[in-house]
Amino acid sequence: MPVDQLSSTFAALADPTRRAILARLAHGERSVTELAQPFEMSLPGISKHLKVLERAGLIARGREAQWRPCRLEAKPLRDVSDWVEHYRRFWEERLDRLDDYLRELQAQQKEKKHARRKR
Amino acid sequence: MPAENANAAARREVVLTRIIDAPRALVFKAWIDPKRLAKWWGPKGFTNPRCEIDVRPGGAIRIDMRAPNGIVYPMTGVFQEIIEPERLVFTSAALDGEGKPLFENLNLITFAEHGAGGAQTRLTVQARVQHETAQAAPYLAGMEEGWTMTIDRLEQFTTSA
Repeated sequence: MPVDQLSSTFAALADPTRRAILARLAHGERSVTELAQPFEMSLPGISKHLKVLERAGLIARGREAQWRPCRLEAKPLRDVSDWVEHYRRFWEERLDRLDDYLRELQAQQKEKKHARRKR
Repeated sequence: MPAENANAAARREVVLTRIIDAPRALVFKAWIDPKRLAKWWGPKGFTNPRCEIDVRPGGAIRIDMRAPNGIVYPMTGVFQEIIEPERLVFTSAALDGEGKPLFENLNLITFAEHGAGGAQTRLTVQARVQHETAQAAPYLAGMEEGWTMTIDRLEQFTTSA
């Protein structure tokens, strides 16, 4: 995925209202009116958020029905999740090595102490 | 995708916590002593032929990570905060062939005593991505390849033995 796309996905996710909208859409399609209800927000206000989500490819709007239902698009979310996993693995590997190294180092130190006592 | 992943992604942040079976002072030293850092930094199978760190606020970090296939991945960084033995803050950037940064992270490392008598350490890594360029993805993929190659070699070795 191009980084620009990833950036716009991140930007879209940076807002708690938009994340809440996505969470609600995870349960199925909703109309704009339905989405606006829990947020005490005006319809134009909600529409603005929906536009950001749509541009980021996180949601799609139906064309067929008059009420143009919104639904979740899984792919960008998966890409973002992959990205997070990627960095997690990047660090997990380093910490594995740190752990191994410190174990080895301590074993060596113990051995040295032991050898000294024997002498 | 789990909700916490979405929140972490929104902050472009990865947080990891690990209990390490070593006292805090020793764990901290493994980060600030260049000889020790070179022993473990980077993905598995990588070595660090160049590992220079100037451990003071504003001090430079320069590490060349060498993959098992010989490719060198240089990185630079700058220390921001050093509170021995509890906290380390530094930026890190991977460089492309022309020495331009591919991505830049801000890393906050926290060291807390853990277990009876502080025999263990709770290490927390908070890595936040600040900038990322289009070339970052193949770079990271290349590092992964290095790791896969190591596994392949290991397999070859064990099956031929």
